[in-house]
Amino acid sequence: MQLFVEAIGFGIASGAVIALGAVGFSVQFGMSNILNITYGSLMTLGAYVGLFLIDRSVSPWVALAVAGVVVGAISVVFHRVLLAPLVRRGTRAFALVIVTVSAGVILQYVIVAFAGPDAKSYGELSGQTFRLLGFVLTASQVTIIVIAVVLMLALHLLLTQTHLGRAMRATASNRILAQSCGIDTDFVSDLAWLLSGALCGAAGVALAITTVSFDFSLGPVFLIPMIAAAVLGGIGQPYGAMLGGLVVGVATELTAAYSNPEYSQVAAFAILIAMLLIRPRGLFGAAWATRRLMA
Amino acid sequence: MEFYLIVLLVYLGTDLLAAWGLNLEFGVAGVANLAFILTIAAGAYAFVVFTLGPSAAAGNFQQYVGGFSMPFPVAVAAGGVAGAVVGVLIGITGLKRLRQDYQAVAMLVVSLMAATVVSADTPFLNGNAGLVVLPNYKPFGDQDPEVQRWLYVAIVGVVCVAGYYVLRKFTRGPIGRTLRAVRDDEFAAAAIGKNVVTSRLWVQAVGGAFGGLSGALLVAFIGGWSPGTWAYVETLALLTAVIVGGMGNDLGVSIGTFLIAILLLQGVQFLPQIPGHIGLKEDLGWIVLGVMTIAFIWLRPRGMVPERRPKYGGGS
Amino acid sequence: MSTEGRPILEVHDLVRHFGGVKAVDGVSFEVQRGTITGLIGPNGAGKSTALNVIGGFVPPGGGRIVFDGEDVTGWPMHRLARRGLVRTFQLARVFGGLTSIENLMVAAPEQRGETVLGVLAGAPYWGAQERDLLARSRDMMRSFGMEVKADEPARNLSGGQKRAVETMRALMTKPKLLLLDEPMAGLSPSLSRQLEDLFLQLAADGMTLLLVEHELDTVDRLCSKVIVMAQGKVLSEGKMSELRARKEVQDAYVIG
Repeated sequence: MQLFVEAIGFGIASGAVIALGAVGFSVQFGMSNILNITYGSLMTLGAYVGLFLIDRSVSPWVALAVAGVVVGAISVVFHRVLLAPLVRRGTRAFALVIVTVSAGVILQYVIVAFAGPDAKSYGELSGQTFRLLGFVLTASQVTIIVIAVVLMLALHLLLTQTHLGRAMRATASNRILAQSCGIDTDFVSDLAWLLSGALCGAAGVALAITTVSFDFSLGPVFLIPMIAAAVLGGIGQPYGAMLGGLVVGVATELTAAYSNPEYSQVAAFAILIAMLLIRPRGLFGAAWATRRLMA
Repeated sequence: MEFYLIVLLVYLGTDLLAAWGLNLEFGVAGVANLAFILTIAAGAYAFVVFTLGPSAAAGNFQQYVGGFSMPFPVAVAAGGVAGAVVGVLIGITGLKRLRQDYQAVAMLVVSLMAATVVSADTPFLNGNAGLVVLPNYKPFGDQDPEVQRWLYVAIVGVVCVAGYYVLRKFTRGPIGRTLRAVRDDEFAAAAIGKNVVTSRLWVQAVGGAFGGLSGALLVAFIGGWSPGTWAYVETLALLTAVIVGGMGNDLGVSIGTFLIAILLLQGVQFLPQIPGHIGLKEDLGWIVLGVMTIAFIWLRPRGMVPERRPKYGGGS
Repeated sequence: MSTEGRPILEVHDLVRHFGGVKAVDGVSFEVQRGTITGLIGPNGAGKSTALNVIGGFVPPGGGRIVFDGEDVTGWPMHRLARRGLVRTFQLARVFGGLTSIENLMVAAPEQRGETVLGVLAGAPYWGAQERDLLARSRDMMRSFGMEVKADEPARNLSGGQKRAVETMRALMTKPKLLLLDEPMAGLSPSLSRQLEDLFLQLAADGMTLLLVEHELDTVDRLCSKVIVMAQGKVLSEGKMSELRARKEVQDAYVIG
């Protein structure tokens, strides 16, 4: 029983990070209808930016914010300069995936070229250990959960309470209609990529904080659970991604606790494949943006 | 130097077989198979498992299933069959009519999942360490090693020639036309009576067989095979060869393979070594590969040698 | 018992819903062999949906479809096509990577070169059939006046040319029943006329046609029987001239 509860606790902690990344991924898909596989390598970039700062005695939480800004900026540029023009020219969805996979590979190996292929670490950041409702969590993990919740809340408030947020939802659900209502859809789209890119960078740092050590494969490896979470919740639907993150996090930790730890990743894979084969539109459908998922 | 030439020729031959298989699946039939590397891996593992004796007999130095002590030709054929089977299994996961990009991501995930499972499950195929063919593996009995190697190049050459002959039967003529029709519009194809599901599964089997043969011939030469050898990026290299060379065009793809597999990925080995940055050369190779893929999709998506359809004339 | 006297198509209580919308809500009708039947109605009546269900593009939610004496309810498109029930699409769907003439050749049923045996046996096995196929395709392209475009990749054709290719392609399958979704849409009056003459000839030769069409003049000229649909149900059937006079038909078009 103790094992079970502890696994749930770890699951919530890792679920928070997965949710963070999944929401960003989901927002990008909801806004631009692109499965952006480069997201994985961008997370890695975030982690390495954080490493750069932490090695210079910057607080990990400041590093998280900076990484968010950096990756956010790069994401906007990436979308505007490469992805949006390809979409305008009618490039097929599959070719776009290849482009994002390739861009991810380029970024990954550029990072390796500069930082080397060896494992890195943020060092000992865990802090105190807390016992909360039977969960055993470190201070870092608790902070990350809090940050994730705060960011989710901020996103929720943005989307529902602000004019800009409403414009984003309108653009995501029907771009042409939004344009005819006078919304500057290019600006709104850029903003969405900036915010989701920031979540991506933040997720990268959060991942690096929670893992003992990491290398250039950090992002791509954790991208799969995040896509699983996004698809589970209903891709394009940020709230679904939040819940999906929790489910995937807990499932992964339970698998690790009760069977071969090397199989823990398989839990996320299995969820993703199962969802794609059985119910691609996820548990909650795409409430934010309706997308055709079947060919 | 001569040895290196032999290595290049064997790599070229096996890469051509793999690229032809992928081109049949993707270029001709339009199947978004990003898990193609699994057919190659299946072929390689099958070859080893068929060639070695039972694992217990060798003191469980490596753990694996099978161990049939088969001669070389049988083991290679087993590799082809294994590739075909895995190809069909991959095809079955693609049967649900998902959007093409979803399908691509699903295949990518299947690829990663397989790597994780094989790595973790040691008794199956020796886990992360991979399998090694017997160190003094002599497929042709006792011969001078020099002769052995050239004999091997000849074998690969023969398989390639035979393979190309068979490939053309599938990429040309009525079936080539039908597969391309299914690629261009599967609903319109169904509306004129084409069974999309069976044609796709057949393509996966044949393409997979090519991948399996490629893997089997490669592993016999390089001597070992582990999950590191078949990371998901390997499919990307082949895909780039197909895209750059010319999708749906056998000759174009062959040129693309030569360009990517030989000139690029081997060419970077000749760059000067930068101290403190071991492995920079391979990294550079992958970076150039990624850039080429994007450049071609942007500028010339049909590739260097685009697909050409036969000309019949309107007749008179 | 021979099927000669029976209608080639019987639709019984066909139903198709789309998430709460009853697109087709209990539709029944018959189509006789060798006739041209029209399916008309205001926008949103469910005509295209009905055609999609009959053509196997979309599965029915309920009801039965009997084609040439056989229950084909729920059959997939390719199976229906092999039995002789072929549909064309509203937006012309050509095989862009193939040439125009290849679009025709690919449609021929039972090609020797498509079976596994045939592929491995190679050209000596299917060569003769290919030559016949080529000749037939050339003849068809000539009759449509498009032989100069034979080797043109289909993706480069104009909209009207694509429509022509799609129609020719459907005819190459030697269908017994051809379902046409607005075949005249976007065609010039002269091309329309040519197509009408072609359809009349095909019917005279024994083919059956069921078409959804908005151009009521076309329907008048071509169709021996017309079925009117509104709001997912069959409203009325008969000859065009009779229907024009019926009040409920007039109302349906006004109210929609």
